[in-house]
Amino acid sequence: MSLFGLFSKKSSAKTAKDRLMMVLEYERASTKINNIEQMKQDIIEVIKKYVKVKDINIKNHSNQDFNALELEIILDK
Amino acid sequence: MGQIVTITSGKGGVGKSTTTANLSAALALLGKKVVAVDFDIGLRNLDMILGLENRIVYDIVDVMEGNCNLAQAIIKDKRTPNLHFIPASQTKDKNVLDKQKVEKVLSDLKKEFDYVLIDSPAGIESGFEHSIFLADRTIIVTTPEISAVRDADRVIGIIDAKSQKAINGEEVEKHIIINRLKPELVEKRDMLNVDDVLHILSLPLIGVVPDTEDIVSSTNVGEPIVYNPKSLAGEAFRRIARRIEGEDVPLLEIKANNGIFAKIKGLFK
Repeated sequence: MSLFGLFSKKSSAKTAKDRLMMVLEYERASTKINNIEQMKQDIIEVIKKYVKVKDINIKNHSNQDFNALELEIILDK
Repeated sequence: MGQIVTITSGKGGVGKSTTTANLSAALALLGKKVVAVDFDIGLRNLDMILGLENRIVYDIVDVMEGNCNLAQAIIKDKRTPNLHFIPASQTKDKNVLDKQKVEKVLSDLKKEFDYVLIDSPAGIESGFEHSIFLADRTIIVTTPEISAVRDADRVIGIIDAKSQKAINGEEVEKHIIINRLKPELVEKRDMLNVDDVLHILSLPLIGVVPDTEDIVSSTNVGEPIVYNPKSLAGEAFRRIARRIEGEDVPLLEIKANNGIFAKIKGLFK
């Protein structure tokens, strides 16, 4: 076992899976929507009328049974 | 009328051509009339894996440009009479393919063969799009590695957006092959296992191929591993071919070699 192994109990396969799922949530959204940047800007414009927004993240959650986009609106302090 | 099966991956080097060669040979051994078509224009490889590189006169681009007719470009394998092959062009680049001409060639092949297996190029440029456009079914090859799974996911999204069946609102059949699984690493939880990959990609599995040493020598000599009755990888590919044929075949059991000899051998590594 390497010295590094002593400190990290988590298996590397588990880490790989978590990292992949995270990255793919974003990438799937951009494969589905052609102009995702444009859409983000448009949404920001609308929301700006009501609250101060800093940024918007669009994620995709999908499997064989359902398909959903998740909008995360980060507010400006 | 035959069906077009496209073997694709996104990431290069995960074993697309090896998979195409072996599934073509295995389906031919099952008595089906098969043609394997190399769509990787400019980076021809399927010819060597099939051991047919010395028999090439014309290629797929010659057919499309009218330098020869389709029959002249089809190479018959001498070991397996049902197996046929059309090479990619080595001198042109992959932008040479034209949608109408691809469509013509593939629909002609479909009339003549039970299976048209297309070895798609890596990447997501036009060559890839041509290879999936007319597919009746697609097989996405991935290894249990982060970059291969990520690219596979991207390619699945593009198949859903760009294939003719998908555009017409029909479902393109999509299946996953997990290639080069190393059971020792999976048991140590240092490699993604089959369930991990399927959970991430959420598509049905059509087979798991273990990482065996004999596959390297089979490529070296140009003899697909399915001809070797003792090979575990060969058996994995033979079972996938039967599943393509609609047979319900159990998954191959892939276990780490943890016997006492393996342990002793490990001590001296």
